[in-house]
Amino acid sequence: MFVLHAHLPYVNHPADSSFLEENWFFEAVAETYVPIISSLERLAAEGIRPGIAISISPTLGAMLENEELEEKMAVYLQSRLELIEKELVRAKDNPPLLKTVKLYQKLYQDADALMHKYSGDLITPLKALQHSGQIEIITTSATHAVLPLLARPEALRAQLAVAAEDYFDRFNRKSSGFWLPECGYEPRLNSYLKLSGFAYTFTESHAVEFACAEAPGGVYSPYRTANGVGLFARDAASSREVWSAKFGYPGDPAYREFYRDLGYDGDYEDIRPYLGSDGTRRPLGLKYYRITGSGTDLAAKEYYDPDLAMARVEAHASDFLARRMAQTDEFYSARGARPLIVSCYDAELFGHWWFEGPAFLETVIRKIRQERLPLQFVTPSEYLNSCQEPREITPGISSWGENGYFDPWVNDSNDFIYNAVYAATDKMIETANRFRNQDLPSLSLRALNQAARETLLSQSSDWAFLLYIGSHAQYAKGRLEDHAAAAIKLLGEVIEKKVDEAELAELEQRNNLFPRLDFRVFASVSKF
Amino acid sequence: MPQLSRTLPAEDRLVLLPKNPGVFFVLWRFCASRSEAFGTSALGPEVELRLFCTDDKTQSSSRRAAWGAGGAYLDVPVQGKTYAAALYALRSGEWEKILESNSAAAPCAAGAAEERAYASLEFHKRGLL
Repeated sequence: MFVLHAHLPYVNHPADSSFLEENWFFEAVAETYVPIISSLERLAAEGIRPGIAISISPTLGAMLENEELEEKMAVYLQSRLELIEKELVRAKDNPPLLKTVKLYQKLYQDADALMHKYSGDLITPLKALQHSGQIEIITTSATHAVLPLLARPEALRAQLAVAAEDYFDRFNRKSSGFWLPECGYEPRLNSYLKLSGFAYTFTESHAVEFACAEAPGGVYSPYRTANGVGLFARDAASSREVWSAKFGYPGDPAYREFYRDLGYDGDYEDIRPYLGSDGTRRPLGLKYYRITGSGTDLAAKEYYDPDLAMARVEAHASDFLARRMAQTDEFYSARGARPLIVSCYDAELFGHWWFEGPAFLETVIRKIRQERLPLQFVTPSEYLNSCQEPREITPGISSWGENGYFDPWVNDSNDFIYNAVYAATDKMIETANRFRNQDLPSLSLRALNQAARETLLSQSSDWAFLLYIGSHAQYAKGRLEDHAAAAIKLLGEVIEKKVDEAELAELEQRNNLFPRLDFRVFASVSKF
Repeated sequence: MPQLSRTLPAEDRLVLLPKNPGVFFVLWRFCASRSEAFGTSALGPEVELRLFCTDDKTQSSSRRAAWGAGGAYLDVPVQGKTYAAALYALRSGEWEKILESNSAAAPCAAGAAEERAYASLEFHKRGLL
């Protein structure tokens, strides 16, 4: 079972034409989502069913459907293609460089073509792939909150209920499964998963493997909670081979070097138009060098060779499958049953960071068919529908974050944010309880619903994580505080009957996800 | 240490969060009248944070902190158990309970969890975000 979790924090700044953090989205679309969708479509067209599961976070889904972001995406792609035209001229007498520049030209042309094909909306092809049974798409919490860190049950329920509704609106069906953000699990979640109609979820391996004695199949069997929610545990071995730069495939010397980028190497005057309004050098996505060797200085990297890299993709795909067969054989010898191997990854690993990742994924799937290997990709729903009743277990509290619990989201660098998160959350719950049974004027209703959006956005895991890794920390802190402050202010305005309609309209335009959101989802006894 | 840039509403709050099998994080805020009581020495300058096991209501540990610290890390008495925190303040020489938290379960340490955990700094969207 191959599971890709696709998520980005909600970043939408309609009033600004060059907001740096929106590039997260543009880069992920061009380098990850388009190549993966293209691979899946190619396989499906050849009659090879991919059979993978993809979790798409509601925030990412909203961005993929946002028309303003789609327009900015088109501008971004044209800007890259314009830069590449200049690079083709610069590289004309340098064959190794020219080969890679042409590769990028094709990458961005393909992205542009796919965006045009689907009128800028990448949900459409994903939906079509799911409808035709090629893949299974699931959801995750509304704004990717680390759920065990939400102390209030109302907040937990809201994150799940809003996600379920959002998925239904986007994909016209119920989501069978639920991806726990950061694989963050605790037993309180069982009842909320059931209540929101999710049939299964995923946990980190040690939630099952060490934390309870009643899981004899280790991570190689599905389980269920006491209330019947299916559980799949991540297989650490197959995951590490793919994600680890140190121990895994992405660190191969032939693969593209991530950190050496034209944005830092290029002549400043040549690249200045593509750097953003502040003119600071930053990655532009055009990376012409290969890893070359472990520990090789960035300045000493050698030119990337696409053919050499693709040869390594072939070898790594074969190795990956050979290891899975060995795992299968070993388990079968010991237990007399075929194991289920659950390999879960962040989708953005494929393409954005590990440039060759989408080709690896496609090659793995293709090889199973072409070489008639005794392996099969299966979606979670298919597996649960075909296997015997899974054994009931009580998984341990865990996450897939560093050290296996909640350290990345609760530490000295970011613990101060929870005062703001809880100030907004508590106020939201209290106000929802107060107004839940009242007929409200439309302006108050809009303000309460927007306050619910802002509260959900304040709970996103991304702000704590960015503060922890020190990347875009000021942006993360600002976003967290903006959302919490906006929620508290709106709720106060509703109580005082002094809603500022202009400010509300601006918030509604900027943070316009969850169009059907009803603030009552935060009420202590909710209809949801 | 980073701080919030904006002032939050003054209100009573005590929240207990799991961090790892050995540590809880507890955060607190006070309403204006309570802050004033601390500021005017009607309440002592320190608060005492006590962890209670919710299974049997027994107090398991305590630690003191400055009333204005707003947060502290507490050792988990026994992994796998569920706890709630209570915040006490000293009034006229007696400890008085003024806030109670949610309950939170402490994870059990799982062998090799650190090695297996996925989203280490090595990766986790390191280039994207």
